[in-house]
Amino acid sequence: MSDNSLNKQNMPQHIKRLISVFAIFIVLFLVMRQVLKPSSFGKLGHFRADAIYENTLKPMHYTIADSCTKCHKSVRAEKDKGFHKRLKCEVCHGPGLKHSLFAEQFKGKELPDSLKLYKPGERKDCGVCHQKNAARIKIQFDTINTTMVHQIDLAEHNPPDLKANEPANCIDCHNPHQP
Amino acid sequence: MNQDTTKLSRRNFFKAGTVLASGVAIASALTPYDGLLFAAESPGAKGKWYGIGIDINKCIGCGKCANACKQENNVPKDPFYFRSWVEQYTIKNDGSILVESPSGGVNGFTQSVPDNEIYKSFFVPKMCNHCAKSPCTQVCPVGATFETEEGIVLVDEKYCIGCRYCVQACPYGCRYIHPEKGTADKCTLCFHRLKHGLQPACFEICPTEARIFGDLNDPGSKLNYFLKNHNCMVVKPHLNTGSKLFYNALSPEVR
Repeated sequence: MSDNSLNKQNMPQHIKRLISVFAIFIVLFLVMRQVLKPSSFGKLGHFRADAIYENTLKPMHYTIADSCTKCHKSVRAEKDKGFHKRLKCEVCHGPGLKHSLFAEQFKGKELPDSLKLYKPGERKDCGVCHQKNAARIKIQFDTINTTMVHQIDLAEHNPPDLKANEPANCIDCHNPHQP
Repeated sequence: MNQDTTKLSRRNFFKAGTVLASGVAIASALTPYDGLLFAAESPGAKGKWYGIGIDINKCIGCGKCANACKQENNVPKDPFYFRSWVEQYTIKNDGSILVESPSGGVNGFTQSVPDNEIYKSFFVPKMCNHCAKSPCTQVCPVGATFETEEGIVLVDEKYCIGCRYCVQACPYGCRYIHPEKGTADKCTLCFHRLKHGLQPACFEICPTEARIFGDLNDPGSKLNYFLKNHNCMVVKPHLNTGSKLFYNALSPEVR
């Protein structure tokens, strides 16, 4: 093997061509990167900074308890006396932002059916929290009133009479706002 | 031939080696290795640094949080897409562990093991841990997922290519591919609500206040009070993900 072929002054033709091809590709890459890269990419890190703003644009569905009491004052007063006073309205009634926004905008108008909120009261609705479950019985040692959830065995407690076709819903006897 | 290719004498080799070694030593002294930073420590130590606390003692497994998350964020209703869900752990008297999550707990739970066979049973609400050193962010090949300054891990839906690498990487199973968008989707800690000064939906809705949300940088926040007064633990601490979801009364069976 002769050392001449490796000598820089005598660089072979094919290496020169290869270098120019590489140079073209590098320039092409830099140009394309400039065009394709979003303008906010890399501003705050290896991501598009605009994506933070885009994430805030999603629609809300749940509101806060205060917006319910603007109209439903009597229910609030009733609820404040009972065990359910710390529950927010949307826990049982579902998301109500559209409901409250409509009521705020068109005062006195009849609510369309699609915006009416769910009125629970069947055995399965209350059983979500109150059905007896071994994992639900909690030992309380710091605060007493916060998590004591009444445990009911729905199969034993006033079972519905299937022959008479009576549903025996919980709200037939209990007022859910003041149980 | 071989003698010609290397011109490095023994003296030069040692010289170069010493320069290289001292260079590395100086560089590492200037920027120390921070692999052992603990989770709750924010990088900037100014501004907000959100964390989550969950009290397993208080959770009654109503699944309202999982339900609220689905409705607030338009998560597909199918029982295998979840941003937030609840699991019931039942440890039987014979030592076997049963983990149940019927459709993520969205419709509540029914006890499947009779009382006399149960050693102990409890509910574990699960969601994105918003890790400070999140594995899902590290593996994203296109930079479509990132951590904000407030410590929230978000997904850039326009940039995500749906390669599913992050779904594999998350040790807590908190990501899924959205069936319609075809991109990765995960808990955003209701980022759209935070910007209006509201709490995330699952925290807003929890009837027993088992979920606590707050700023870890604010010493007076509800979350710091909770962490101070309870013995809290994160899930899978050995993975050093910098998880910011702290559980009170977490059993070692929880994975």
